[in-house]
Amino acid sequence: MTPNGAVLFAAVAILGAMVSGGRGLAAGYAVAALFALTQIAPRTGACLRRAAIVMAPLAAFMLIIWVGVVGKSPQEIASNAEGTRSAALFYVATVAARLFLIVFVLQAVLLRFDHDTPFAFVRALRVPAGAKRMMILTLSLIETLRNAVDRAYTALVAAGIVTRGLSLKNLRTGWILVQTVWLTAITTVTARMRDKWPVEDTLALLDPALDGGERRLSPPDWLWLGLAVAALALGQYLVWAHG
Amino acid sequence: MAKEFIAGPNFSGRSEALLTRLRGGAQGEQRAFFIGPYAEAALSGLSSSVADEIALYRARPPRARDVFSRLDPVAAGARKPQSLSGGEQVLLALHCFSLSMHDTLGIDTALEQLDAVNRAAAIDYLSSGAFDALLIDNHAAPSGWRQTVRPPSPSPAFVIDWAALNATVVPRAAPVIDIRRLNFTYRHGPTIFRDAAAQLVPGRAYRLFGANGAGKTTLLKILVGALAPAASEIALDGKPYAPWRGGGAPIAIATQNPDQQWCGATLEEDLERRRGALPAGVAIPDIPKLAAFARALGVSGLDQHLYELPLAARKRVSWLWPLAGVHPWLVLDEPTVGQDAATRENLAALLARLCAAGHGIVFVTHDENFARLLPHAVLRVENGGISSL
Repeated sequence: MTPNGAVLFAAVAILGAMVSGGRGLAAGYAVAALFALTQIAPRTGACLRRAAIVMAPLAAFMLIIWVGVVGKSPQEIASNAEGTRSAALFYVATVAARLFLIVFVLQAVLLRFDHDTPFAFVRALRVPAGAKRMMILTLSLIETLRNAVDRAYTALVAAGIVTRGLSLKNLRTGWILVQTVWLTAITTVTARMRDKWPVEDTLALLDPALDGGERRLSPPDWLWLGLAVAALALGQYLVWAHG
Repeated sequence: MAKEFIAGPNFSGRSEALLTRLRGGAQGEQRAFFIGPYAEAALSGLSSSVADEIALYRARPPRARDVFSRLDPVAAGARKPQSLSGGEQVLLALHCFSLSMHDTLGIDTALEQLDAVNRAAAIDYLSSGAFDALLIDNHAAPSGWRQTVRPPSPSPAFVIDWAALNATVVPRAAPVIDIRRLNFTYRHGPTIFRDAAAQLVPGRAYRLFGANGAGKTTLLKILVGALAPAASEIALDGKPYAPWRGGGAPIAIATQNPDQQWCGATLEEDLERRRGALPAGVAIPDIPKLAAFARALGVSGLDQHLYELPLAARKRVSWLWPLAGVHPWLVLDEPTVGQDAATRENLAALLARLCAAGHGIVFVTHDENFARLLPHAVLRVENGGISSL
């Protein structure tokens, strides 16, 4: 499978998850599971765990709001119906399942190519140079934030202001970590843009470094793309046939 | 090929002169490459692996010139550039330059983080390479280089009152640090310590000595609780010591990159937060005393925004908390990077006074001149162990 095929597969699978609901999602789940088991087999568990970690807080929040506070689904609100908590629960379950599938597919595709460096993956994509630049700058920003978290955390732990791991102290002082991370990130980027980048014209090095891209999709790409499209179509049929 | 060494004291405008020259070159036909003293100025910030950093700078088609390769790009390829030690980051930047299209190399005090072997190799490469080089360094100029000496600023800023700092030194009773068994492996990274052991007695200064990437900074971070070792046993005066589990450490640190230790935007905010987090049994210093200390370090007011200070001044401010004598043990990581000869001499004298007063000091330096000025014992960090020399 090529990076281009993986990106197209993910795009169609995500589209399917967004437009399908209820039973329609089952087809998407089936293709995603097949992809994970055949492409990243030993790490499917890690992929599930990461998706759960991302989704669990959001699902809990939606449960509290829709089931606990509002007590009816958006459709019931729109139709001015009486509304039930079970309908609200079904709505939350559908949205959570949809988002879980999206996160799972993204994780699976990323893990499929985690032996490649980000540059190698982006270089292989057949997209305009501007899009490649944006991807690398986005990754750079994420990396800068991660590094800022590491730096700020080290500084505050060494000073005894926060502790490693969970503690009551961290509940009181955690906001200092957030403030210090932003301060560190902003000053890191500012320093980079003030000294290193203007001198070297570093951003201009990106285009030649990312130049290239595979022109054709491979047979496995077409296979997975076909399965994703089939899942999308089946999902739509199930929605149409059963509501 | 022009090789120029820019000499002068701190705050004489050396860094600005270097950057101005490099920017001027960038607008012309020459393409300039800049290596500053810390990660923000040594690395591109665009790549999340060493392999990508190299790929970014690699010239296409490759240039026929000597490749500087003191960092194994295969072994380090998957590591994040930011996870490398300060010295390794400089080696990576030099490797990237040697592969790049750039014709001019400017280095601002970055070579001060290299061990003796790597430094000699870097100087040799800079001296013989077919490119223009501009170097700021607080050590002797490489032979054969043209030297430009910048005069001291006519209106001196950040002047340190060493007499006032020395007057603050008071006797302390510091505990013995007994590292009986130390194991540490970075997640997705190398193993640094395997059952390492050492004993640190107060009233002495210990120099951690070893190659770039050997684990000197890692040891300092473990001692202050910023990194958690696995299956390890450390004691303070015989009692188990595990600051990474919370509870604070009686050890103050000055990090290699001063920007890695700020706890607030202003000096006042930073100090207030540190005061509020001191472990039980440590006397909390009052703000007027700390303000006087900051003034003695050359910083006019506590409302000073830390990131508005020049780098050399930030480095000095990073000494404030350790030198204020609040903690019985001080650990200093490359304290003299970017500091001129006079400052290094006075700092060594002050640290010697602190030792004589009972404090314990652990420091990392590749600055032999500074090490000669401060009486110390040497602990060699290599191959997963710590040994006395």
